[in-house]
Amino acid sequence: MIHVDRLTKRYAGRTAVDAISFDVEQGEIVGFLGPNGAGKSTTLRMLTCFLSASEGTATVAGHDIFRESIEVRRHVGYMPENVPLYTDMRVIEYLRFRGRIKGLGWRECRKAVDEAMDICALNEVQRKLIGTLSKGYRQRVGLADALVNKPDLLILDEPTNGLDPNQIRQVRELIRHLGERHTILISTHILHEVEMTCGRVIIIDRGSIKASDTPQNLVRRLTEAGKISLQVKAKPERVIAEALKLSGIRSVDLVEAGSDWSEFEIRTDAHADPREELFTLATEKEWPLRELTRHRASLEDAFVEVTSEG
Amino acid sequence: MRAFLILCQKELRSFFLSPLAYVLLGLFIFLNGWYFATLVEAMRSSVSTRSLIYNYFDSGWFWMGYFILFPLITMRLFAEEKKLGTLEGLFTAPVRTIEVILAKYVATVILYVVLILPIFGFFALFQKITGEGAAFHQGAFWGSGLALLLIGLFNIAIGTFASAVTANQIVAAMMTFVGVMLHYFIGFLHQFLTTPGSMWTSTLTYFSTIEHMHAFTDGLIDTRPIVYYLTFSSLLIFFTYQVLEFRKWRT
Repeated sequence: MIHVDRLTKRYAGRTAVDAISFDVEQGEIVGFLGPNGAGKSTTLRMLTCFLSASEGTATVAGHDIFRESIEVRRHVGYMPENVPLYTDMRVIEYLRFRGRIKGLGWRECRKAVDEAMDICALNEVQRKLIGTLSKGYRQRVGLADALVNKPDLLILDEPTNGLDPNQIRQVRELIRHLGERHTILISTHILHEVEMTCGRVIIIDRGSIKASDTPQNLVRRLTEAGKISLQVKAKPERVIAEALKLSGIRSVDLVEAGSDWSEFEIRTDAHADPREELFTLATEKEWPLRELTRHRASLEDAFVEVTSEG
Repeated sequence: MRAFLILCQKELRSFFLSPLAYVLLGLFIFLNGWYFATLVEAMRSSVSTRSLIYNYFDSGWFWMGYFILFPLITMRLFAEEKKLGTLEGLFTAPVRTIEVILAKYVATVILYVVLILPIFGFFALFQKITGEGAAFHQGAFWGSGLALLLIGLFNIAIGTFASAVTANQIVAAMMTFVGVMLHYFIGFLHQFLTTPGSMWTSTLTYFSTIEHMHAFTDGLIDTRPIVYYLTFSSLLIFFTYQVLEFRKWRT
């Protein structure tokens, strides 16, 4: 669906997007993840033909973004960051206008707008001026606009930005629902969102791609060293000495030494789970044990690890 | 063509569904009505060899009110879309940049025609009421209409360009006003910069709006100003296109 080949964008001596290449297959929901200013929006703007690339090429739905920009735009439904809308138009007017300039016939457009408003639950506000709508509704108007001409590909730039938790959940549900019919590329800096909705994540930082995989694989691959919390009633020095003898343990750190209970943080080798050995050790030495937890690495850890180096 | 019509319709809608068009229309009719009445009064007390229409368009009083119009009707064209960010939605829809520009331009020209039409209503009404054939002739009526249309095309092109350059409507309005006034003043330069009959005089006369107007209000359809205004309007539209496309390449 999307094929990006060494796409580059330079602004005044600064390289915003540095020769990135990636592919998005038909039917995928791909999350484009990165800290603010990483080049996410710039990349999406190049893919939607709003900006031109300094170097490199990309094809969207088989059309070159530079040479066949009108064709590309016909196949893409784009929701820009912060969802700019004409505030002096009514919702239904706006969507009909958008449907018409995207090439829908008059009758066809009315039907498509009704459908889009159904999907995005906009029927009760259809006669309202967009300027009077809340942020959540505006976001949904933007979404309805993006999908009104039933494009093959939806590109959504930070679709849940600035919404409250309930609205975020609604929009997320909507995106997942849309994923059944469309290929979707969403950009975000909210990790949770990607974990919930996307089949694949592309992490971008300072203009280049740092990782591209499923959220689960990323977590597994990027946080190789696991972490275990242990609380026992014993002398800290002895616990550290004994624990280090076990296999699969990299380091044992004392987090908090109380009068009798001590808490430790244990780092393990990749994919190792020495909890059973630790339990056996504690029972052998007759140390009372009150916590033995393995921390699951989150995508957040992966994100921090990938984007904070260098 | 299809996208052009839809966009044009949308522009016209936002003109005529907002108070802007009606406020302008009301004020412009009031201003011109007053000026018209004053002029008729003045012509009654002092003898003039010129027609009513000639005298109407010969005075700075008319042009002052007239030039205020252009910043007001063109400032929002692109500046507002830039400010709101809707330009991004517009240019990621499958429409050509030139279609967007021409749609906005033509819609503004239509608004402009609606705004100046009442002036010709005054003339027609005056003719009908007084039955005074000598006040002006058909040629002056249609000639001045054509001249005003041409000057409007040119000045709206200046405004369109100014609006595409900035995201600030006030800045766009000021640039338009300065541009429009400068062009108007160039037409007077020959009166005090050069000696009569020199090459400069005749060259500067080519740029003179008021001289063009004199020819047309005499009922003379001169092709030179027609070519002049149409080419300069096209040039400004071309510049507007370049400015908007430059966005893509800006570094």
